[in-house]
Amino acid sequence: MIHRGVSLYSYQQNEFFHTMNWKDEFREVATNLHGADGIEIISECTIPHYPFPPESFIFDWRNELARWGLKAVTMDTYLDTLQFRDHVMSHAETAERLKYDLELAHKMGFRNMRLCHNVPLQSVEMVLDLAEKYDIRMTNEIHAPSPIKPKRGVNWGETVARDVAFIQKTGTKHYGLQPDMGIFQHKPNRVMIAYSLRATMSKEDADKISQEIIQRFDEMDRDSLKAWGEENYPTLFKSRMAEMLLRGNSADPLDLYDIFPYIYCIHGKFYEMTEIPGEPGHYEEKSMLYPEVIAILSDLGYDGYIDSEYEGQRSQQDMGYEGLPNEVEEVRRHHEMMARLIENSTKNNLFKV
Amino acid sequence: MYDSFLVRKDSLQNVCKDGEVVGFKFAVQLANYRGIYLSLVNGFYVNMDGVEYDQDDLTLEVNGQPPRTMAELAKAVWEHWDLQDEAFVNVRKPGGLEKGAHKLGYLPSTMDAYGYQAHDEEWVKNPPKPGAGGGKTYRVCWFDLELK
Repeated sequence: MIHRGVSLYSYQQNEFFHTMNWKDEFREVATNLHGADGIEIISECTIPHYPFPPESFIFDWRNELARWGLKAVTMDTYLDTLQFRDHVMSHAETAERLKYDLELAHKMGFRNMRLCHNVPLQSVEMVLDLAEKYDIRMTNEIHAPSPIKPKRGVNWGETVARDVAFIQKTGTKHYGLQPDMGIFQHKPNRVMIAYSLRATMSKEDADKISQEIIQRFDEMDRDSLKAWGEENYPTLFKSRMAEMLLRGNSADPLDLYDIFPYIYCIHGKFYEMTEIPGEPGHYEEKSMLYPEVIAILSDLGYDGYIDSEYEGQRSQQDMGYEGLPNEVEEVRRHHEMMARLIENSTKNNLFKV
Repeated sequence: MYDSFLVRKDSLQNVCKDGEVVGFKFAVQLANYRGIYLSLVNGFYVNMDGVEYDQDDLTLEVNGQPPRTMAELAKAVWEHWDLQDEAFVNVRKPGGLEKGAHKLGYLPSTMDAYGYQAHDEEWVKNPPKPGAGGGKTYRVCWFDLELK
């Protein structure tokens, strides 16, 4: 069964402005998201005084999980290789950091711990015993523009193959993969285009033109679109964003079949939920292949979490308070969509004849 | 990130020491979605009313400690600056600022990372010049502030 959760990353703007804290976010997830029950966190955002939180926090954390009936699904960790400043962190030092994070994840009851995608397997190997002892599954995130299957000319294209070989060699059940829905982003998100446009024009114009550009992605093939964009909006289509705009999805949803046994969690990345025309109260994330991915996961019998990871706020913080998006509403819409797609896929699976 | 909100608008004030005005300060938050180790603070691009300030003229007042230089921060390898916490950038300017309106250009430079990067060794020896790299906000942000 596909479970739904929320990465509290989605509420980062509320954290920044002190308008919500993790307890408010727990209440929101438990009461307004159609039965979602999973919590994912950014260690260095949610945990006060990381990496040395007071014991009272751990008690509070456990207590609030129980209060709302929530599950600690995944703790996202980071690897700041220049933390010590006078040298680049060695692989052994990296392993020490991972051990410490595993201790924290264990205290907080997490099932998975997401690693940064550049954590060396040598370091991972040094902590497999501890992960096994605590039964915490470490995951390597597959993040755009990384593909699942190696693609010519794409950086990191070998990472998934490397990880699968490592899992098969060691036989470990405590290291796996965490695809981010961003790898299934098949066209650019409107909010990022509008942000770039606002550097040279008004908000009103940027809103209008970003809609027009997105519309073109539905109507034109990539080559025509590139030519059209470079002629009409050269500053955007000839910028460093151009490659990202025109890239298309870095992975095919069908590739999930190849890595399915190793998927322990999924990041439900999204940028903007818009109402489906003619379907009041139903929402969609137009830039990503959610219907296809959820149908495939359902077909595969995925028994894990998709955790919302809202990231559209980042492109809308240049306009003052009035221009800030509503993270709470965006996540509610995201769960309306996911709950509906999951329900439909179990009723009428595309892949079952 | 947080382009319009990195500096608190009503926070500009002069700094006094031993009865003398030695500079000014303003309140900032991290341009990030997470906190970072203080050691990863590389510096700040500060342009007040058209004058750019050297890193040697800057200190950071954070976690209830007295203002620390960039070199002192680099040694705080286990002390975390939490996302939700404000800090004051202190700028040395004998006499401070006049009362009234001021225009600040600001961009923090931090060395937080997603694991090993090609530039790691280079950044140990030659960190990026604040204003020219490091962190999740990419352009100098401008603020209209008032000293009351």
